[in-house]
Amino acid sequence: MEERSSADAVVLEGVRKSFGEKVAIEELWLRIPAGCICGFLGPNGAGKTTTIRMIIGIFRPDAGQLRVLGQTDPSLVKHRLGYLPEEKGLYKKMRVRDLILYFAQLKGMAADRARQRANELLATLDLAEWADRKCEALSKGMGQKLQILVSLIHRPELVILDEPFSGLDPLSRDAMRDLILELRREGRTVIFSTHVMEQAEQLCDRVVLIDRGRKLVEGPVEEVRASAGRSVQVEAEGAVAWEQLPGVAGFSSHGRQADLTLAEGADPQRLLAALVGQARVRRFEVRATSLHEVFVRAVGGRRDADL
Amino acid sequence: MRISEVYLVAQREYLENLRTKAFWIGILTFPLIITLGICVPILLARAKEARSFAVLDHSGFLLRQVEEQAAAQDLAAAFSRAAEAYRRGGPAFAELPEALRGLALGLLPLEETQRGKVIEALVRGEAPADTFSLPEPARALLARREALLDWRQQVSAAELKDLDFPQGRYRRVEVPQDGSDPQARLNQMVAQGEIFAYFVIGPDPVAGPQDCKYVSRNLTDTELHDWFSGLATAAIRQQRLIRANLDPRTAQWVQAPLEFAGRRLDEGGAEQRVAFGDKARQWVPLAFVYLLWFAVFTSAQMLLNSTIEEKSSRVVEVLLSSVDAGELMAGKIAGTAASGLTVVGSWAVFISLAVAIVPGLLGASATAVAQIIANPFYLASFVVYFCLGYLFYAALLVSIGSMCNSLQETQNLMMPILIPMMIPLFAMVPLVQDPNGLLARVLSFIPPFTPFVMMNRAAGPPAPWEYLVTALLMVGSIALATWAAARIFRIGILLTGKRPRLREIWGWLRSGEAR
Repeated sequence: MEERSSADAVVLEGVRKSFGEKVAIEELWLRIPAGCICGFLGPNGAGKTTTIRMIIGIFRPDAGQLRVLGQTDPSLVKHRLGYLPEEKGLYKKMRVRDLILYFAQLKGMAADRARQRANELLATLDLAEWADRKCEALSKGMGQKLQILVSLIHRPELVILDEPFSGLDPLSRDAMRDLILELRREGRTVIFSTHVMEQAEQLCDRVVLIDRGRKLVEGPVEEVRASAGRSVQVEAEGAVAWEQLPGVAGFSSHGRQADLTLAEGADPQRLLAALVGQARVRRFEVRATSLHEVFVRAVGGRRDADL
Repeated sequence: MRISEVYLVAQREYLENLRTKAFWIGILTFPLIITLGICVPILLARAKEARSFAVLDHSGFLLRQVEEQAAAQDLAAAFSRAAEAYRRGGPAFAELPEALRGLALGLLPLEETQRGKVIEALVRGEAPADTFSLPEPARALLARREALLDWRQQVSAAELKDLDFPQGRYRRVEVPQDGSDPQARLNQMVAQGEIFAYFVIGPDPVAGPQDCKYVSRNLTDTELHDWFSGLATAAIRQQRLIRANLDPRTAQWVQAPLEFAGRRLDEGGAEQRVAFGDKARQWVPLAFVYLLWFAVFTSAQMLLNSTIEEKSSRVVEVLLSSVDAGELMAGKIAGTAASGLTVVGSWAVFISLAVAIVPGLLGASATAVAQIIANPFYLASFVVYFCLGYLFYAALLVSIGSMCNSLQETQNLMMPILIPMMIPLFAMVPLVQDPNGLLARVLSFIPPFTPFVMMNRAAGPPAPWEYLVTALLMVGSIALATWAAARIFRIGILLTGKRPRLREIWGWLRSGEAR
């Protein structure tokens, strides 16, 4: 057990959290091994940010146990955590260098060490000439770079990024992706939340899918996709009654194109044969289910169950 | 709570406040207001040129009598000043002319009303009607008249001005005797601004104001007119008594008002004379209440602004990943307290410096006021009540700040705080007049008012138990307000969108699940 806890960066055991009447997290069990990239997926309002805030110790769970970097009280490991919130803010009137120093010292770095690190990082990020300017003078992109710098200056073991890709242009997205991969190479654990499935699919070793305060799916990306079964992407001309095709467990149709989920043990060949009888097939591709489909199905399924 | 984190937050808060305009306005306003308030009237009075005037006296006696009256007034003023200088001690007294010094020593033991009578007698050269009622030392003083008159004969105009004699304010010029019509000549002088005004005294002013007039281009400034006509009236009154065959002494006695000498009972129950300083001591706390109010309010406002800045810019998210909400709040309150104390401290230094340096520069009354202001008891209460008041209102405003996303949003919530805060300001004057009355006592025990009201009553002063109990109540309220603020702050600071409703806030306070 001791061994496991040291290998796990974050463990949540039956964690609950509510605000007044509103239940934010119903009961969450989670295990995030150290050194991996873990994606928190879920629609808006699913409880991703609340979970993240519990992990960094801003909120305390009402019930259940939480272990972060081996400690049950996250506030004891704050200096080993790096956090980049979704809404990034800076003190407008502070000088860039003072701001970095301030946050670095809050993270427990000694002033001279922090100053040295700040200079290094400012140079790497091409912000050196801005060091003595006020933050309000920075462009939006530079502000984001500075934010990232601030959250990583103390070389945290666990980096938590809340919606790191939202509002980024394509170039910055790539830079952010590279940064996340770089962090893993250095042996750090990265948790990030997103609702863009393609990114999670590209980047994550593991994913956790949350909706309305409940965990729906958790595990390594490949397993999650495989457990959802195979799926078929079809492009066909003509009216097709998708749900009546043999072996189709679910579908989402986008006009001529449709994503079909195969039932367990279903044979794609039989499906194709049936399809050819109904319409003119332009394309037929058998593949592992995408996270997007897993997401839509899991969340949609729950919504349907509620109705 | 980790002290090093609180310290870091406080340090940043302090340095940021140092960069705000509000901070420097706070530091500079007070010395500026005090300096202007004390210096401008004095400098204006000094800079004012002596008003020159002429008198065309057709009666042949009135002008001379008026001048005698004026000299009497000057001497009376000089004596009072000498007595006051001696009472306060210090170099001012030693610098007075010998004739005045001796007299002042004799005058000092007397009551203010008796002092007035002796001075009048000295100046006039005749004993007042009720001389017999004067105590022995006062009567002995009358014998000094010769020496005094000698001094008055020899004293130069410059010396008189240094002694701040009223005579310094007006200068009479002779009517030119060049054979032309004197009145036409005077009109010309007034028109050309050579003199400010001239008086014409009719041939028989005792009979009535026939042919008496005052000619000037400026009839709004009546100072010269009032001074001269006052003296002339007094002189004419004497003449009329003589013409009516009344003994002037009898008349004086008839006219003399019945005066009740003011006495203040000290703590031991002993009677104390009322001096100018006592009045000032009573009113000076007023100034402190204003300053206290200003200092508490601006400091708490600074805290509100910086809380809203952190919240609306979302810096707070990053902060909270490094420090606990309680540490953040404590650091902010402490940092702003330090800025507030810097402002208040700069005022205290300013006052102490002013009291040390200024007496040489300014008049005696300014010095007296400055000394009362520099009273260590007042200064210490001021600093203590600043801390108590600030901590209380800081807790309220930091919770409001944590719930709002912009300054506009705070306005509705500020109303219920601002209105009670005005009450001590409205109550200021009644409290000064009755510092230990029922209203004063009741208000002292209402914690939001305690700092202002107790400062207001400082001249009383309130009983030690009142200080103790009100302070304990205040500390309790601060603890309660801070406890509530911590709960509201934790949740409020992370909320976005709509401001929480009162019921929700109540829920936060009740449930311990604030974080």
